[in-house]
Amino acid sequence: MTSPILQVEDLKKYYPIRGGVIARKVADVKAVNGVSFDLYPGETLGLVGESGCGKSTLGRTLMRLEEPTGGRVLFEGKDLAHAKGKELFDLRAEIQMIFQDPYSSLNPRLPVRDIVIEPLEVHKMGTASERLDKVVALCRRVGLKEEVIGRYPHEFSGGQRQRVGIARALALEPKVIVADEPVSALDVSVQAQVINLMVELQKELGLTYIFISHDLSVVEYISDSIAIMYLGRIVETGKKETIFSNPTHPYTRALISSVPNPDPRKRRVQVAIEGETPSPVNPPSGCAFHPRCPFAVEACKKDVPALESFTQTDDPRHNVACIRKDEIEPHFKN
Amino acid sequence: MNFLKLDPLMVKRLQRFRRIKRGYYSFLILVILFVISLFSEFIANDRALIVNYEGKLYFPTFKFYPMAEFGQMDEYGFDDVEADYHGLKTEIATLKAEFKDRMETWDGSAAELLESEPRFQRKDNWVLMPMIPFDPYEPDFSYDEPPPNAPDGRHWLGTDGQGRDVLARLLYGFRISMTFALALVVISQTFGTIIGSFQGYAGGWFDLYSQRFIEIWGTLPFLYVVIILTNFFTPSAKMLLIVFALFNWLGITYYMRTEMYREKTKEYCLAARSYGASSMRVMFKHLLPNCLTPLVTFTPFLIVGAIFSLTALDYLGYGLPPPTPSWGELIDQGLQSDNRDKIWLSMSPFAAISFTLILVTFVGESVREAFDPKQYARYK
Repeated sequence: MTSPILQVEDLKKYYPIRGGVIARKVADVKAVNGVSFDLYPGETLGLVGESGCGKSTLGRTLMRLEEPTGGRVLFEGKDLAHAKGKELFDLRAEIQMIFQDPYSSLNPRLPVRDIVIEPLEVHKMGTASERLDKVVALCRRVGLKEEVIGRYPHEFSGGQRQRVGIARALALEPKVIVADEPVSALDVSVQAQVINLMVELQKELGLTYIFISHDLSVVEYISDSIAIMYLGRIVETGKKETIFSNPTHPYTRALISSVPNPDPRKRRVQVAIEGETPSPVNPPSGCAFHPRCPFAVEACKKDVPALESFTQTDDPRHNVACIRKDEIEPHFKN
Repeated sequence: MNFLKLDPLMVKRLQRFRRIKRGYYSFLILVILFVISLFSEFIANDRALIVNYEGKLYFPTFKFYPMAEFGQMDEYGFDDVEADYHGLKTEIATLKAEFKDRMETWDGSAAELLESEPRFQRKDNWVLMPMIPFDPYEPDFSYDEPPPNAPDGRHWLGTDGQGRDVLARLLYGFRISMTFALALVVISQTFGTIIGSFQGYAGGWFDLYSQRFIEIWGTLPFLYVVIILTNFFTPSAKMLLIVFALFNWLGITYYMRTEMYREKTKEYCLAARSYGASSMRVMFKHLLPNCLTPLVTFTPFLIVGAIFSLTALDYLGYGLPPPTPSWGELIDQGLQSDNRDKIWLSMSPFAAISFTLILVTFVGESVREAFDPKQYARYK
């Protein structure tokens, strides 16, 4: 088995809430609360969760756009979470990001050429003419014509803008790309084009993706493995097939059962979750999902369940954070 | 200077500005007037533009010529002081007239008369004076009445209490006011933009403390500080500029700060940081060009304020030191009790100030309108 390219260990990101006269810290928003996972080269990890569960913050913390409160992020053995100065600068070239909103992720004052060339300028790669050649090649690769590189972002459609964003992310030839809901802002027809482009690029360049999304059908299409987040923690990880055929955590079950199925003959048990997502400032004790969980027992309120290997499926990477994972009946019968 | 490069949005705004005729023409008039005033020495000056003396050309605007050069001498017998070009011109005119008189009674040819009286040879010299042949400092005591003298063909807007030409002083005063206002705007907007940008971009403690400092600094009464300072130091244009700038940079920081706060959360800023762009690069290459609207729209009104405050200070006597030509000082003269009937003293600077401020305000309004994203809004 290959070794992971990115290992995330107990990553935390808390936002302090200050109050009172002397701006004393009164509480924390625990946006990312001890997340661990491994990312294998050439694979796509789909990171799924409802809005506000911390998946975007996780992405940004991995990118060091937010300073992590704790934990480690090992990229090929180097700790990205604590890197400084030159080391961080060099590591940034290895892991790049595709952003959600193609309308605000491109500087409206710069033409496409300048937007895509800037990472190369910042990292002082090649001569001016080499950079320009590279920009042209990148734009071609993502499906933009050469003559558009002098145009400004407002002259493009959403899908084209996202292609520019992808070209910019590829400019430094990164190994890992964090895609933060890259298609949520696009029309469905355009979504498919962008997703297919990302899949092609992955095959061609051997990229590793962290694909953040709330759209399970998109995640099912692109991912190799999936991590489900709830309130700052990962509650279940596993291969795509395992998660979709054998969702074990009660929250995953509810999520999977909510995906509309185009086949009317196939029946599924609908699991509706009741109540609202609790506040990340003051999460419920023990398992954060217990107030909404149909299987919750007294013990769920005590300790935070660890993400442990689930042995009933044959997926060695299948981990579930639920103390009753072995007791509750498998949801889907194959 | 990336942010001066014109992107399509800027081009569109400039086109919109050009379509607002009132502001566009005001802008053109102001620019032309200012450029003309930069060459005031060629328009209002005691020194001649060109002198042709004994077959040689002189350009006294650029060079000092003593009286001896033109065979002159002042009433105390010195000939090394600056030449008197008015005197030279009058002398030539007198010679010409005299020569004409003599020719009427002379029997021979003009050449013979010149030969017999060589002093007439000097009549062929000529002096070209500027449009306004007076400079703003030299008094003209050629009137029988004591100054101020009413407007006539010699002084189109009359003279002031010291016999100086009012029009020349207005022209030089315009140049000083505009230069002062532009310099002030450049200094205070640059400084304010940098401080405000850092506040907004850095946030945190720097923002907190600098904002409190700005609030406290902003409560200092500007006029009193100037009055106190002028009691200790002789006011000069440089000192006034510094004092004005110390109080004027605050205004723009508020706007730049909030613009930066808003822009820095946009994803293009995150993208720039994600590939390791330095804070300076993010701030000045990416954010600042997107934050220019308040800077551009406030600048004309800051110019209005600067011209007005400088005039007010001059009027109160705490401004530029005499004998600097200034509008405020002229108004002050015009409002003194024994000058109340000499309306050219107060009305001409008043008209000049009103005209200038209205033009700048028109420009400001139009710039604001051109930069307004709500194109069809009407403010009444």
